[in-house]
Amino acid sequence: MKEKRKGPLSRAAGIAEGVAATVRRLQREREPRVLVYDPSGYARLIQPEARGHERIMSLAEDMLAEVAGRE
Amino acid sequence: MPDTLTPERAAERLRELSADVRTAVLLDAAGSLTSATEAERERAEKLADLARSLFEEVDRATRDWETDPPQQVEVQVPGGGVFASRTSRWTLAAVAKRGALSSLMLYDLHAVLEELEGGPLIRRSAAVEERAAGPATEERAAEELPMPELGG
Repeated sequence: MKEKRKGPLSRAAGIAEGVAATVRRLQREREPRVLVYDPSGYARLIQPEARGHERIMSLAEDMLAEVAGRE
Repeated sequence: MPDTLTPERAAERLRELSADVRTAVLLDAAGSLTSATEAERERAEKLADLARSLFEEVDRATRDWETDPPQQVEVQVPGGGVFASRTSRWTLAAVAKRGALSSLMLYDLHAVLEELEGGPLIRRSAAVEERAAGPATEERAAEELPMPELGG
């Protein structure tokens, strides 16, 4: 159970921790990766060394390049 | 807005739902382009080809997995993300802005495909619709839900 923070400094530290955790999560979300989801929503990562990973990344980059070309 | 979502409107519908969508294409079961947000046909066809190849590669990469075939794919690359979702009849793929929330993108893709398959339409909450006729106030604005909800 999370300990309740007391005092303004402690609360400020708590807010800073929350912000840092959000930034870390957003950074993680933007890391290059391939995730697949089954019909129940269960996610699995296609590992970078796995068969097809490089090709999938390349196709996605091509899709982004098509859009960037128009913008 | 028409009551039933047609395949011709599906890609545009996704862009209406999500401000993070930069482009979207809908393919039929044969992998042919059905609709796109791109005005230029040649670019739309190219994106459709890439989206079809994406799922082909995913199927190849996961063929030995003892799971159901993937229904959705998320690829994060520098500069943005590619998201795709499929049913037995349709494949909807989108290029999203950098920083788009994966969970929301996947939800929106799924919701549009469900709408296309005759599932529940996505609409604003009843409370918001009822209030639309009256004058706008700060209190009302504060009560509005930021997310659309599924409705029958």
